[in-house]
Amino acid sequence: MSEAEALWVLLPTAQRASGEWIDDTLRTRADEQGMLDRLTQVAAFPRQRVEVVRGPNASGQVNEMFYRRGWTDGLPIVPPTTNRVDAMLRAGGQQRNLVLGEADPLKGVVTVEKVAINAVMAGCEDDHMPVVLAAAQALLEPEFNLRGVQTTDENVTPLLILSGSLAKRLHMNSRFGALGPGWRANAAIGRAVRLIMHNLGGGWPAAVAFAGLGQPGRYSLCLAEDEEFNPWESLREELGFAADDDVLLVQRAESVVNVTGGLDDLASVMASATSSFSRLHGGIVAVIIAPYVAKLLADEGKSKADVKAYLHANSMTTTEEFKKSWIPSRLAGQTKFPRWVRAGLEAGWVPAVEKPEDITVIVAGGDIPIPQCAYMPTWGFPSCRIAKKIETASI
Amino acid sequence: MLRASAAAEAAGVPSSSLVCDGFLGQGATTAVGLGLPNLPMAKVPGHVDTQTDNELRDNLTSVTVQAVIENLTAAQPAAIMIPEPGVRDVVMEGSFEEINRFFYENGWSDGLPIVPPTRAKVDAFLAFTDLPADHILGKLLPDNRHATIWNVAVNGVMAGCRPQYMPVLVALAEAMADPGYGVEHSGNTPGAETLITINGPIIKDLEFNYEQGALRDGFQANTTIGRWWRLYLRNVAGFLLHQNDKGTFGNTWRVVLAENEDVLSKIDWPPHAADFGHSRGDNVVTISRFTGGDVIASVFGQKPEDMLPYLADALISQTGWQLIFTVGMADGSYTPLLVLSPILAETMAKAGWSKDDVRQWLFDNARIPAKKFEQYITEYTNFYSGGRSMFELAQLGKANALYGESQDPDRLVPLVCDPMDIQICVSGDPGRTNAQVFSHNGILGFPTARAIRLPNDWKNKLAGAG
Repeated sequence: MSEAEALWVLLPTAQRASGEWIDDTLRTRADEQGMLDRLTQVAAFPRQRVEVVRGPNASGQVNEMFYRRGWTDGLPIVPPTTNRVDAMLRAGGQQRNLVLGEADPLKGVVTVEKVAINAVMAGCEDDHMPVVLAAAQALLEPEFNLRGVQTTDENVTPLLILSGSLAKRLHMNSRFGALGPGWRANAAIGRAVRLIMHNLGGGWPAAVAFAGLGQPGRYSLCLAEDEEFNPWESLREELGFAADDDVLLVQRAESVVNVTGGLDDLASVMASATSSFSRLHGGIVAVIIAPYVAKLLADEGKSKADVKAYLHANSMTTTEEFKKSWIPSRLAGQTKFPRWVRAGLEAGWVPAVEKPEDITVIVAGGDIPIPQCAYMPTWGFPSCRIAKKIETASI
Repeated sequence: MLRASAAAEAAGVPSSSLVCDGFLGQGATTAVGLGLPNLPMAKVPGHVDTQTDNELRDNLTSVTVQAVIENLTAAQPAAIMIPEPGVRDVVMEGSFEEINRFFYENGWSDGLPIVPPTRAKVDAFLAFTDLPADHILGKLLPDNRHATIWNVAVNGVMAGCRPQYMPVLVALAEAMADPGYGVEHSGNTPGAETLITINGPIIKDLEFNYEQGALRDGFQANTTIGRWWRLYLRNVAGFLLHQNDKGTFGNTWRVVLAENEDVLSKIDWPPHAADFGHSRGDNVVTISRFTGGDVIASVFGQKPEDMLPYLADALISQTGWQLIFTVGMADGSYTPLLVLSPILAETMAKAGWSKDDVRQWLFDNARIPAKKFEQYITEYTNFYSGGRSMFELAQLGKANALYGESQDPDRLVPLVCDPMDIQICVSGDPGRTNAQVFSHNGILGFPTARAIRLPNDWKNKLAGAG
């Protein structure tokens, strides 16, 4: 058989530090949940690094096999061949066996090679690898609380924001449709992060991850901060990096709520769309401001800090409304809200977040006079806004 | 590493092992091999030697202490078996190039082409042992995998051995599994490499080179058996670079050193294996790990007294940090090896010197000032901390009494605790007056010998092997 008919694929799943493959645990969980009629080959794979799949239609076979083993998000994947993974590793510039950490909740060991394998499967270009590596490292930071994100009944997902000139070089969209389909960097980098969570952390929906509904952002939630239409200092500079650095910001997003309008509309949505869970645990929310709206605000002389302060001060819900919501009404007496919430309840008004700095603000969206903004509530604890400088020596 | 913690856990006592950042991966794999994959470890950030006291204190209090508390108070999850292919399973079918790529990609090869271990090729090796294929020779750390006749043969095929080398390979696997050897140290940072020496008529049966170029590749038995050793460490013991083999530099495998038994018998010196209780004429392999050494060129002189000062000086110059194995860590386990070319050994024997006479002379004369010895094990390496002199250690019973005879820091002290700790082999170009010194890695690969068991009807089988 010729090489052309065979695919040499690397396995995207992980072993624990103890050597055990997480798939053996996942098989038990999937069996308990009655998922093995669909995922018919869970844990049925050779326990080695590389597998050879012979043609004809080797690529189709890899896809079918990986899906049945539970290694995909349901969409077709790019077979992670040795050649493709090697190219990804070269672009990443890190040694393949370097251990980045263990991915919760099943504690698969995350090596640079495993990240590259999942990036190839997601459809990443080689030059995306430094961003995917930065994202993987962010997921493994304790404050990201990957265990919670993977196992909660809420629908939270990582939100990736790239700030820096790299975004343009990678063609990562920050304009029309930045959160929608069509741009490979937005789609594939976010998808790689999901596959890493899925295949290395074992966050299989309905087997380990019991998010009530999930959300489309669990396929990918990744965009760039717009460089040209941002009238304020960039996110990276705000976070203490240099203007010419490239920085990936990772925080947790519960959903994306469209807001047509300006600051008052955003504040109103924040007041109502911030769940009492969010107020229970605190956390950092995100607001995306349309270029047009940002320009109007800047023309009025408002700084980014002014915008955050305004949103904080105006995203109030009344004590009466708050008490009608799920947690205070159903679980009264069983939960203790933080001091800032209790103080607000006494004063009659509770803001969406504790303080203005808990709102991440970026400018992105279509660059015509349209007011399409977005609010992304958050979930869980601890407060999480992880910034990773991207090392791009090879790009 | 981690053996003390494993022993404590086995006795039902909770443990927490302090492990430096760079060793966490090795720790995890070692723990698996010890049968306790969830052995609790507490990370010590960075490398302790490069931190100030304050940095180290901060790191320990902010990271390590918390982990120690968790380790000692939380229940550890149970171990789980990790499935592996069955022994006769075919793991890959394809061309020579494909098999080689497959083995390499899966970490089963050293980077040179391997001979694909087909069932037929393995069976040819099995014909050269009377033991059944599933016979267990021992257990090898860190993977805690059994050394079996089967996996000895598979790796023998892969290394390019001939089937008739099988009895040597089996003896080597047994020696590797001997707890006294300490195979689990094979991934330590000094990166020592094992030297296999061989004695007995099997040297000629298998056509080992024991003359000119004895330590160079070029003879199939010497070369491929050396290669087998490293493949076996990789595939059965489980040592992998960038994972649990932490050798800082390391080096390629050493080819097998066969002694020149013709010369030994002419001068009536015992073979190397005699140091381990074996007799002349026994087929024996001896293994030991050495970090390095050098050739001692042009040993000039007509009588032993003229030649030996240079050899004593060579022992001194090739010995530094290894002194920790004489005093400090596993006292008395430093056993350097001196390889003499036949003409050197013959010249000494002609003057009436036995091998033991040579060892005694070297023991008496290869000496260094006590203060220099102490410098190696304390000031230079910090291997032995606490600031005690060797005199004080000897008084406390923590060093051989040899080192407690005087308090004079300029007194001359021996490199080893006993003349017999200086190993001597005879091999190499019979006509050159060169020697070679290997300095040894103490208990981290202690000299271990095994008799080679030949199968029934060895001579006929050998004749038929080609």
